[in-house]
Amino acid sequence: MTVPFWPLFAVDVGGSLAMIALSFLCLGTATHLRRADPESLLRIYLFWVCVGLAGFSLSRAAGHIARQGLLLAGREDLWAALRPYSSAVNTLLFVALAAVTLFFERVWKATERIARDRLALRRARAELLEVNRELERLAGDRARALAFSERQYRRIFEVARDPILVLDPEGTIREINPAGAKLLGGGEEAADRLRGAPLVRFLARPGAWREIGAAIERRGFVQNVELELRRADGVLLPVLASAVRDRESGGEGAAVHLIARDIEERRRLQEQMAQADRLASIGQLSAGVAHEINNPLGVILGYTQLLLRGEAPGSERHRDLKTIEKHVRHCKAIVEDLLKFARRSEPKQEKVDIHRTIEEVLHFFGQNAAGGRIRLESDFDRRIPEVVVDEKKIKQVLLNLLMNARHAVGGEGTIRVVTRWLEEEGKLAVAVEDDGCGIEDKDLPHIFDPFFTTKPTGEGTGLGLSVSYGIVRRHGGEIRVESRPGKGSVFTVVLPAAGAPPEEET
Amino acid sequence: MLPLRRGRTVSPPPAALAAFLFFLSASPLHALQEHGPTDSLVLHQGAHLLFLAAMGLLVLRLRQRGLVRHPGWRKIQLAALFFVLWNAAAFFAHLLDEQWGIVATVRLAPAWVRIEAGAFGEILAPLYYLARLDHLLCVPAMAFLYAGLRDLRRRPEAAFPGEEEP
Repeated sequence: MTVPFWPLFAVDVGGSLAMIALSFLCLGTATHLRRADPESLLRIYLFWVCVGLAGFSLSRAAGHIARQGLLLAGREDLWAALRPYSSAVNTLLFVALAAVTLFFERVWKATERIARDRLALRRARAELLEVNRELERLAGDRARALAFSERQYRRIFEVARDPILVLDPEGTIREINPAGAKLLGGGEEAADRLRGAPLVRFLARPGAWREIGAAIERRGFVQNVELELRRADGVLLPVLASAVRDRESGGEGAAVHLIARDIEERRRLQEQMAQADRLASIGQLSAGVAHEINNPLGVILGYTQLLLRGEAPGSERHRDLKTIEKHVRHCKAIVEDLLKFARRSEPKQEKVDIHRTIEEVLHFFGQNAAGGRIRLESDFDRRIPEVVVDEKKIKQVLLNLLMNARHAVGGEGTIRVVTRWLEEEGKLAVAVEDDGCGIEDKDLPHIFDPFFTTKPTGEGTGLGLSVSYGIVRRHGGEIRVESRPGKGSVFTVVLPAAGAPPEEET
Repeated sequence: MLPLRRGRTVSPPPAALAAFLFFLSASPLHALQEHGPTDSLVLHQGAHLLFLAAMGLLVLRLRQRGLVRHPGWRKIQLAALFFVLWNAAAFFAHLLDEQWGIVATVRLAPAWVRIEAGAFGEILAPLYYLARLDHLLCVPAMAFLYAGLRDLRRRPEAAFPGEEEP
């Protein structure tokens, strides 16, 4: 069979060139594929398959072109020498390419496994991120709640009106709140200075801490123990202390938390109530006694005056009867005062301009009682409205207080009358201040007792403050006393502006 | 006799002596196998068969895995099929002209060739001629491979494990 040569030649040479071109195009594309995901095993595999194909195509095409060229040139001998090498290289590349291709299944499976693992990792990572976000959110919430709680408790510690102290078991101050710093150090800024100081330094009785420490050691706490703390100004302040042991105090070891409550006010109120009870009892007793004495005194005075009519003035009997009359009158005045102190009758309810009333009393006092070297001052709060009081009785109270003040300052001094409007309470306060001798601490609880007086015998009956007390109480008010021996006293009458409540009784 | 220790000698065993004499005797060298010109041809043909089998297996795997749904892998499958055909054609041509030697080509003139195939010339000569035009099979194979790779590059979704479309 005879066939044309040119188709064989054209297909051989053209096909070889096309194989080279296509194999390198494949290699280029595989390179791009691999670059898109350099970690993909399948893409790497395809790249190396293309490398093998390119090598094979190049080798085979070179062989075919060389063969055609040498045969056309009549150099069959040269081709015979070259042919085994070309064939061997082609065979090797065949085998290599076939071997690589046979691994497709394994490569695919490995790629699948890697992809599955990668997906699982991605999901696990996403879950971890989600868990992490949730944890962060929870931690954030917790931190915010903790900060809020810490801030809240810190505020309680800071704004508490009672002193709060954190002590170590030996009684050294670790922390102290502003109220405590103010009490023990004289100001809130003293807190830094007080840290590290022993509490025992501020106790009136140093042994008290040993007792508290022993009780805490035994029971873990103490409750409502009365102590006396020494204030920054040296004054002893009665407090009610409660303390508890905290074994885990923020890593600083065991601590004792102590809260002290100022009971001075409570004590004062208790004393006032006891005094009021005492005065009420005395009032009842006095009223009974006065009533029983008043009648015989009236009889004595009546008969004395009858006898006086029969005696000539200037005679000795007339003088004796006059003396009897004078002392009986004195006794009657005392009895009247006693009755005023104890009387249960309601005061009159009349609208009064308190400042006009005070000015009238001051005018009378200035004219008759105050000496020339006593300075009278007044400081009125003009916001005070008209008040409902029994004007005569209030005048008596003010006069009593002014008389006491005059006695306290002696011959020379200053007496001030100050008024203040206590708007929130609907009350007015009238204070009579003096810079006189003051009242001894031991006398303070008795100054409202009937017949208690520090004046020399004959200068006072000791009923002025008792009567004033009775009047003010019947108005629904109270009398407060502040006194410092040698410095002076302040008597403050506090009255409700609307008058005494109907049910109010002495 | 070999002296081992002073005053004492020992004789070699007969088997060792016989082996020594065998290796000393003149005979052909057996250490290396000789290779005739057909060795490389057999190897080359084996390589064609291996390549054919590998490509056939690739087609099978691609179909088993359903990868041929993706245009890229479908074209690569076609490339593998063309490589199978090409290997078969090349193997056939080598078998006829080199291995069995029943087909020979003679250049008659620069533009003509005569194919001599003996008794079966009428059947074998056209088949051999077609088989010698094997580039008509391997070039399309490469073209399909290129087109397939290009599709894989353009649409990697669902083409590679783990790169499924969302």
